[in-house]
Amino acid sequence: MEIKDIISSGVLELYVLGIASEQETADVTTWAKQYPEIVAEIATIQASLESYAMAYAVQPPAAVKQKIFAEINPGSLVANQPAKVVGMNPFWKYAAAASIILLIGSAAGNIVFFNKYQEATKNYQATVTAKNSAEEQLAALDEANKEMKNDMGVIQSRNSEPVALHGLEKAPDAAAKIFWMKNTTGDVYIDPSNLPDAPAGMQYQFWGIVDGKPVDGGMIVFSKKGDKYRIQKMKRFGRAEAFAVTLETEGGNPQPKGDMYVMGKM
Amino acid sequence: MSAEIKYSEEELVLLLQRKDQQAFSYLYDHYSGALNGIICRMVDEAQLAEDILQEAFLKIWNNFGQYDSSKGRLFTWMINLTRNLTIDTLRSKGYKKQQKISKDENSVINYQDKSYGSDRFDSIGLRKQVSNLKPEQKSIIDLAYFNGYTQEEISKELGIPLGTVKTRMRSAIMELRKMLEFN
Repeated sequence: MEIKDIISSGVLELYVLGIASEQETADVTTWAKQYPEIVAEIATIQASLESYAMAYAVQPPAAVKQKIFAEINPGSLVANQPAKVVGMNPFWKYAAAASIILLIGSAAGNIVFFNKYQEATKNYQATVTAKNSAEEQLAALDEANKEMKNDMGVIQSRNSEPVALHGLEKAPDAAAKIFWMKNTTGDVYIDPSNLPDAPAGMQYQFWGIVDGKPVDGGMIVFSKKGDKYRIQKMKRFGRAEAFAVTLETEGGNPQPKGDMYVMGKM
Repeated sequence: MSAEIKYSEEELVLLLQRKDQQAFSYLYDHYSGALNGIICRMVDEAQLAEDILQEAFLKIWNNFGQYDSSKGRLFTWMINLTRNLTIDTLRSKGYKKQQKISKDENSVINYQDKSYGSDRFDSIGLRKQVSNLKPEQKSIIDLAYFNGYTQEEISKELGIPLGTVKTRMRSAIMELRKMLEFN
């Protein structure tokens, strides 16, 4: 089934509304993994229906929010009922007066304790924050280390055939490297770290040239932190005469439309 | 009110996974109106509608781990959760699925104007944009989106063949996208 036929069939709309049949849902899930156009279409349908829901918003009573937050913070709920007034005999008056004095004393004590408690809490929180940030740093280093090992694995593999992609007219200084597991799995990895930053709304797309025609090799993505490109796995190629990278609109195009930045022949 | 803070969807998801209450408060301020709107389409009783809204947000808070951003946008997930919860609640109380108001466009508008106090999220502007949907386009979207009708139920309710539901839905939503300038 062709992408445009899928899009115009209406099955994506049913999928977003949650009323597609089981088979249809399974199909859409598979397509979404294959085609970025399908993912983009689904997102647009979702966004338009979300705006539709916003258009018919009805403000709920303010009390609902308080109830929800009381529910997720057990113990913060304060009973708010008026006290009953009853008469007293003299003994109880003195007893009450005495207990009020005791109460005031105790309250003063509480204030002192409370301040100490707050200070302790603050110190504790500062410690927790410091610990969390140390843990985060450690996790980030761990992650970076793992990524580095992956990269090295690709480069060191005896099966990987390196292909250098050289900068073209558009960006003579640009370069990229391909590591192609040509005779084993056909996996293709690209090291795009010497491509210029893609402008907002644009993305680099990778192509294999097979029988003189460009075949989509997938989109080149930024690392999670968005600041740097890393070696990444692209689509597999069994054979190809050349590889190239073009700058396309975000999500890519079925056929290259943008400028070609780098290219390398086998 | 921390009206100044604005979160992107990714930030919201990250913070909610970490049980950040300020992010949850923001989520509530932005989306409770829309979710409540969906509940009010199906539920007449004000108290019951409030209870469902409360339960929906507690579910969003407690089950946030189940949200998978690769499967769709956050708000759509919240809408589906709310709609299913409403349908389940009504079913458990012996109600049948029903369209409360949606057939009469005017009554919907009146109802909305009365109960929506602020246009903080420009709900009124949006409503103007979508108000030109043809009644049959509006009703096919509403049946599925607001009332949780299945394909079969929609086909029966509108008296159209089952196979036509898909194409009708597509053209109705295309029209909606045009009005919202989503193309």
